Amino acid sequence: MSATGLLIKEFAGKKAYRPFKILGASGQLGYGIPTPAFEAGLANEPDLIGCDMGSIDIGPYYLGSGQLATARQSTKRDLKKVLLGARRLNIPLVIGTAGSAGARPHLDTTLELIREIAAENKLRFRLAIIAGDIPKDVVVKAIEQNRVVGVDGMPDLTCEELSHTTHLVGQMGMTSFQEALALDVDVLISGRACDTAIFSALPVMLGFPIGLSVHMAKIIECASLCCTPGGRDTILATLHADHFMLESMAPQRKALPLSVAAHSLYEQNDPYTIIEPEGRVDLQHASYTQVGERSTKISGAQWISAAKHTIKMEGARKLGERAMLLCGAADPRFIAQHKQILADVSVVVRDLVCEDTLEDYTLFWHVYGVDGVTDLQADQPPPAEICLLIECIAPTRERASEVVKTMKQYLLHFGYAGRLSTGGNVAFPFTPPEVSLGEAYKFNVYHIMETLDGERLFTPEVIEFQ
Amino acid sequence: MLLMDIAKVIRSKNAGPRCTTLDIMFASMQDYDTVVNAKQITESRIALLYDLPVEQVKIINYPVAMALKVVLPRKIMAGDPGDKDVYGAQQHARLFRIEI
Repeated sequence: MSATGLLIKEFAGKKAYRPFKILGASGQLGYGIPTPAFEAGLANEPDLIGCDMGSIDIGPYYLGSGQLATARQSTKRDLKKVLLGARRLNIPLVIGTAGSAGARPHLDTTLELIREIAAENKLRFRLAIIAGDIPKDVVVKAIEQNRVVGVDGMPDLTCEELSHTTHLVGQMGMTSFQEALALDVDVLISGRACDTAIFSALPVMLGFPIGLSVHMAKIIECASLCCTPGGRDTILATLHADHFMLESMAPQRKALPLSVAAHSLYEQNDPYTIIEPEGRVDLQHASYTQVGERSTKISGAQWISAAKHTIKMEGARKLGERAMLLCGAADPRFIAQHKQILADVSVVVRDLVCEDTLEDYTLFWHVYGVDGVTDLQADQPPPAEICLLIECIAPTRERASEVVKTMKQYLLHFGYAGRLSTGGNVAFPFTPPEVSLGEAYKFNVYHIMETLDGERLFTPEVIEFQ
Repeated sequence: MLLMDIAKVIRSKNAGPRCTTLDIMFASMQDYDTVVNAKQITESRIALLYDLPVEQVKIINYPVAMALKVVLPRKIMAGDPGDKDVYGAQQHARLFRIEI
C-alpha cells in the first residue's frame, strides 16, 4: 500500500483521532530549501510534506511561454530533497502549481525532473498528476451561458480574446486533490492549484475540519514567512480536531500570535476571508495564542460552503517580441526636458523605421530617478542622474531590435533646445546597450467560471515508478 | 508625527494582478489606536496620494495584527506593457510622510 492509502486506512472510522503533522517545506519550490530546517522538520516525523511551486505574482511571461521561473538545477535540487525526504519516511509528498505557472509544459518539465531523480536514486513510488489546463471549448460554452465573470474589474472575456490565449489554467481546489489522493499514491504533483489545496486536501479526507485545515494551509504555504523574523525555512503545523499549532523548523524564527495573524494580510485583499472553489473560510473569530517561546496555537476559522462551485482561471497571450535599451543621463538640461526629448526622438525613429513599412510596434520608457517605479508626485525635486529603460514590443525579434537600435543612435545625438553638451546625450555602461528579451506576454484571462453541477475539469492520472 | 515614525511595517504588494494592497503595521496597540484615532488614513487621503477616485479605495482595520490594510485597483494590470512594478512591491513609499 502507498503512503496516502496507509493514512486513509489508519483514519478510517477514526476521524481526526490523533494530531496530524504537516511540513510546509517551501513557499516557492525551485529557489532553494534550506537543509537544516528541512531535516529538523523530518526529525519531527511528519505525516505529510507539502510544497507550493508557483504563483500568478511572477507575471504573465511564464504562463504564456510555458517556461519555468526557477533555474533547472535548483528546481531539481529542491525536488530531490523533498522527494527523498518523503520516501525516507514513507509519507505523502504534495506539490501544487508545478513549474511556476502550472500549465501542461510546466507540469511536463517538472515530471521530467522527477523521472531523472527517480532513476538516479533508484526510487520506487506511485505518483499522481493532475493537469490544471482547461480546454477552451469548456470556457466558450461557459461564456455563452454567462457563467464567466472578470475578477477585480477584468473586462468581459470574449471567445475571440480566448482564442489568443496560449495557456489557460484553472486554480483547482481540494476536491480535485482528494480524487488523486484517494488513488493510493505516494506523491501528487498538480498543475495550477489553490495553494491551500496542497496542505488541506488530505487532512480534510482524514476528518479534520475544513475551516481549520484551510486556514492552516494558507499560512504554511509560505513556509516560515509568518514568523518573526520571517523566512523561507520549513515550518511544522500540527493539526488537532479543534486547533492547530505552528512552529518554524529554523530555531531563530518564532511563530508568534501577531506575526501569524499578520500573515493573513499578505498578498490578500481581505484578511478575514479565504476564498476557495468550494466555499470560503471566515476568520472573524480566529484566535491566536502563544505557546512556549516560539509556537502559536490557532483556532476559530469557520468554513462556509458555496452553493455554486467556481474556478478562477488564468490565461496569457503573446504580444510580440521585446527588446530594450539601457542608458543614463546626468545633464540637468537633458533631465529637465527628458519627457519632450523622448517623445520627439520617438517621432524621428518612427519616421525612419516606418519609411517602407507599417508602424507595427509599441515603444515606451521607464525613467528611473523620476517616475520609473511609481507615478510622479507633486513637488518632487529633479534628480542628479536618471536611468532610461526604453522598451519596444514588436512582431519580431529583429523588428524590436531595429527600433531600439535606432532609438539609441538618435537619442544619443538629438539636438534639443538649450543643449550645451554636443558629445552625446546619454551614457552607456557597456555596449551593445540594446538587449533582446524574447517573447512578451500579457494576462488576457483572469476570470471566475461557475462550474456546472458534477462537472469535472481536472482528472488525476497515476504513474508507477518501478 | 509622520506615519513612518510610528509604523513598524509599511509595505505594498499585489493582491492578485489587478490590485495593489498596502499594509501598515504597528508595534503596539497604543500606536495602532493613535493612528486610527487620528483619522488621517482615510479613503480620500489615499485617493489623492494615488490619484484614484475615492470610491475605488478600500481601507480595512485589522486590530488582531495591529494593522491597517488599504486595497487599490492597479492602473495597469501586473505585467501588461507599461507596468512599472510587476509584483507591486514598491508602491508604499508615499505613505511614509502622512502626518498623523
